[in-house]
Amino acid sequence: MVVYLPLLPYFPFGKPSMRPASMRIRLAGSRFATIVLMTAFGVALPCGPRLLMASNAEPVTSRSGQWNFQNDIEPILGKFGCNSSACHGKAEGQNGFQLTVFGFDPQADFFQIAKDGFGHRIAAVAPEKSLLLLKATSAIAHGGGARLTRDQPEYIALRDWIAAGAPWGDADDPQIVSIDVLPEQSQLSIHSSLPLRVEANWSDGRRTDVTRLALFQSNRPSFAKVSEEGVVTAGSLPGVAAVMASYLGQVDLFQAIIPRGDVTGGHSTQPAKNESLGDDNLDRLIERRLALLNIQSSPAASDATFIRRAYLDIIGTLPTAAEAREHLADQRPDRRARLVDQLLQRPEYADYWALKWSDLLRVNRQALGHQQAYEYYRWIRQSFAQNKPLDELARNIVTAKGPVKEVPEAHFYHAVSQPDQMASTVSQVFLGVRIECAQCHHHPYDRWGQKDYFGMQAFFTQVSFQSSAIGEAIVSNGTATTTHPRTGAEIFAHALSQPLPEQSPQGDRRELFADWLTSPDNDWFARNLANRLWAHFMGRGLVEPVDDFRSTNPPSNPELLAALASALIESRFDQHELIRIITASAAYQRSGDVNATNQDDEWNYSRYPFKRMEAEVLLDAVSQVTGIWDKFEGVAHGTRAVQLWDSNVSHPFLVLFGRPVRATVCSCERVGQPTVSQVLHLLNSPELQKKLSHQQGYLASLVLGTQDDVALLQELYLTLYCRLPETEEQQFGSDYLSQAPNRRQAAEDLVWGMMNSLEFAFNH
Amino acid sequence: MSGYRRFCDGMSRRDMLRVGTAGLFGSSISLPHLLAAQAHASTATGSASAKSLIVVFLEGGLSTIDTWDMKPDAPAEFRGEFNPISTSVPGVQICEHLPRLAQQMDKFALVRSFGHSDSGHGSADHFMLTGYRPLSGFNASLKPNNQKPAYGAVLSRQLGPAGSVPPYVCLPQLHRSGGSSYLGTAHSPFVIAADPNSPQFEVPDLMPPLEVAPSRLESRQQVLQAVNRFAHKIEVQANRDANAFDTFQENAFNLMTSQATKHAFDINREPDSLRDEYGRHSLGQSCLMARRLVEAGVRCVMVDHINWDTHFHNFRILKDDLLPKLDSAISSLFRDLHYRGMLDSTLVLVTGEFGRTPKINKEAGRDHWGPSTTIAIGGGGVQGGTIVGASDEHAAKPATAPFEPADLAATLYHSFGIDPNTEFLTAEGRPIPLVPGEGRVMRELF
Repeated sequence: MVVYLPLLPYFPFGKPSMRPASMRIRLAGSRFATIVLMTAFGVALPCGPRLLMASNAEPVTSRSGQWNFQNDIEPILGKFGCNSSACHGKAEGQNGFQLTVFGFDPQADFFQIAKDGFGHRIAAVAPEKSLLLLKATSAIAHGGGARLTRDQPEYIALRDWIAAGAPWGDADDPQIVSIDVLPEQSQLSIHSSLPLRVEANWSDGRRTDVTRLALFQSNRPSFAKVSEEGVVTAGSLPGVAAVMASYLGQVDLFQAIIPRGDVTGGHSTQPAKNESLGDDNLDRLIERRLALLNIQSSPAASDATFIRRAYLDIIGTLPTAAEAREHLADQRPDRRARLVDQLLQRPEYADYWALKWSDLLRVNRQALGHQQAYEYYRWIRQSFAQNKPLDELARNIVTAKGPVKEVPEAHFYHAVSQPDQMASTVSQVFLGVRIECAQCHHHPYDRWGQKDYFGMQAFFTQVSFQSSAIGEAIVSNGTATTTHPRTGAEIFAHALSQPLPEQSPQGDRRELFADWLTSPDNDWFARNLANRLWAHFMGRGLVEPVDDFRSTNPPSNPELLAALASALIESRFDQHELIRIITASAAYQRSGDVNATNQDDEWNYSRYPFKRMEAEVLLDAVSQVTGIWDKFEGVAHGTRAVQLWDSNVSHPFLVLFGRPVRATVCSCERVGQPTVSQVLHLLNSPELQKKLSHQQGYLASLVLGTQDDVALLQELYLTLYCRLPETEEQQFGSDYLSQAPNRRQAAEDLVWGMMNSLEFAFNH
Repeated sequence: MSGYRRFCDGMSRRDMLRVGTAGLFGSSISLPHLLAAQAHASTATGSASAKSLIVVFLEGGLSTIDTWDMKPDAPAEFRGEFNPISTSVPGVQICEHLPRLAQQMDKFALVRSFGHSDSGHGSADHFMLTGYRPLSGFNASLKPNNQKPAYGAVLSRQLGPAGSVPPYVCLPQLHRSGGSSYLGTAHSPFVIAADPNSPQFEVPDLMPPLEVAPSRLESRQQVLQAVNRFAHKIEVQANRDANAFDTFQENAFNLMTSQATKHAFDINREPDSLRDEYGRHSLGQSCLMARRLVEAGVRCVMVDHINWDTHFHNFRILKDDLLPKLDSAISSLFRDLHYRGMLDSTLVLVTGEFGRTPKINKEAGRDHWGPSTTIAIGGGGVQGGTIVGASDEHAAKPATAPFEPADLAATLYHSFGIDPNTEFLTAEGRPIPLVPGEGRVMRELF
């Protein structure tokens, strides 16, 4: 065997000081360490021959007698890392050998291996001398090290395939249909292991075990790791992790549930399927998960807590002391549901949800112009004021046509003015999927390719603005085409995961997209909206970030997400209805109390989280409790911060507390995390002190009008905390007021303290 | 050891066992750990001479062909209007409009073979300030916009502050790529959004308003303690954001009451003559402030100075406005650090996001030019007076082995003795190394 050691001028995977002569020794050392580390890391990357035992695994190929490149060879390229995005699968390939990541284009891979450069990579007459195999076994210097040894079945398969003339296969060879990971879900004790099995379903009806060549990845390696062979090992922490198995472009999930303490039930559990969502079913799905985790949920929150929480979550506004009193006095058994119904009808509801959707639909005064942005906003607000079904809202936006004066939602297409932006924005907002990566190459973490990206873009290439008798109008017509940047082939409009159509759809393609988007059979839309609403109310979505659905980022509780999505569809996308369902659940009505079992639970809704109020909501809250409101530039007096349609209105408080810039639709633009500067601002800002001490302020009149300390304190507590003070709090407050030389200033100090407390700034 | 598996952004899979969990991620958060000054540096590699970092970022892109890396022999349409002058280092010449810097040339070094392929605002800034090119989905308008942490955030995480001061400070505004990304809010910068040159300069919101007397502040603190029923409770510790708020509040009081911090932020304590020397402008006083803060124990100060994007009237603006400011500010900084014996322990980096075009444009200006720029770096163990590498005759590209932002990152951490193989976990549990895989230490500097 000829061993060929070229001098590599640049060793791409390490420091250039490495000398080729020492490379093989160095690789051997590093390879072993890398194997150990990669296993420890829990993302099972194929790395070397030693760990893959050719034990009693089923035959490598799934062929029924004939070679088929896609079925027989592609999985090997995937399993052994050849086509990973780190090596030959990256957009520019590696050292002149370019494969497609995830094997998304088997024909291209076949060409590279068998035909490129006069087929120099393979040698049918002497298969073991094929460059492909020499490199793969590191018989020749190979930047990727030795991926195979000559005794492995996969090496033998490659060799035999080459010897057979490297056939592509026949058109009627079986195709893969899907894969199943078994079990689907299981409890695992801490540090215990469970081997997974992956079975493939083929179009000829066969079912084969493909565990050996499947790729495994854990989405939470700190909770559960998975080895290359598909053995899941739980870490030392209770929690949930999802392990993805992929094979030939198919993906399936296993859920590892690692309970606190020992596993109580049996190993395998069957998740509920197709449960329709009544009020208690949502909780049942949550409770079932918590039971598997041995986590107990916290008890229900008090009325006072629920009232404040519901106000903030539904209308982004604090209750006034009078409202708080009124609700606290309500003793009817259905008082919480009644409160929710009331809030849904308040005008502030439209303000708040218009604010949130203005972020998503990019109401940007600088980009659109003052009048236009305002009208766009008003249309959005009106949609929520009349509780327009969300599918109709989406359809209105996507298919907006006609004179912009009459169809202000068309401004969406000014905010995102290029077809590629339109496609990725619509995808991110309405599907919760980020497809931008796929513009230039195959998406590294999901299954979207350029074909999918440009298929989406093709829906929007007909859009343009034209002058009409009634001013500017948006039209969408014509036969604009989209071509694949790499292959030059024309890509007809088709939605994500839909098959490529044979010809370009006729008419306004956006209508077709809107049909697909809002169809009851389309999971994406309903799941995305349901997830966003759930995330808003519960503090954490089932998928996080909420606009990052992908196969490598599965929902933490798939059954719950499916149930919420179904509920939304059944209600015909009625946001009010989903809000009623969510707020009626025990999960939403839970307190944030921590018990012995749930301190570390962030993902399973066993306790209610603390959420920092959004910038606009917090500013309004501060204004409301002090009675002194800011006048914002460019809008009428009395406009509250949540009513600001321009996210660029100058106000340092809003910037400081993370108001979005609306340059993109990313959920990351609005920052909910606290900073030291925010804390200092609440403590020391002169503006806040002015509000506190203002002569016309609420505090001034309250102190003047209420001589009784008890009554004063009650009023303050109801105003800021939506509850009555406890005995010790009453005592402290009364003492403080009576001992202070200046009663008014003492009251200011009390309010200052309350405003700076966690109970105020956080929705809990 | 170096791993050989990479993502498309050039990162490699590395030693999982050396992962440090970022402050706010991981399953349990304990109060004392959140902002504590913890030394997380693993095996010390490199000189470990540097203890603090000052980054002076010239936003817009300093024209290095007119300042640090002149080409007097090039044709007129390249060489520009300025002439070089000799410096305190024989054989080294810089622009005639930086005479004081020329005298301090022995305190710092220039890397003239620096460059990168990004000539766009926003992304180039991120590249220079983190060592990492931003990836698809980068939204430059966010503030901060970091996909990877800025150097100061990393130093805050690995070394913490030395004292009750914040570990990482940005002034007079936050540069958009100065954030902490997945290192979390514990390591995001303390922003002084105020111009130290202003007569009314004070750190915003650091002290209560005037009408609140100190004794009243004390009473208020008592009130807060009494009414803040969730403070330090387990319910709060179990929620990241609430826990952060709680800890920041504790820290805020430390900041407010610490004499050391108050002194450090009080620029008026500096003698007028020194303030004059640095220059009575935003850049000068910010550099003085930076020295002051480092002295008080701040681990990294980033000074963001704007208006360097000289597409029009490059020479007039540089000569009349920007270069005198740069000259007084940076020369004073080096001289002052040296005088106080702080130069060895303080690494100073002066750079913009890219260089500027070799060919002068129609408006007597220069446009963006990533492929060739010069960075100035001194202190922290760097050999003063060193010139590393060279660019070609038009300063269009490096003529010797090129260095790029990943190398800058490697070099910075090297001088702090921080292991370049250190990795952090993102929220998704993905390990990201401190330095992009291909980053090499610029050893010629030491």
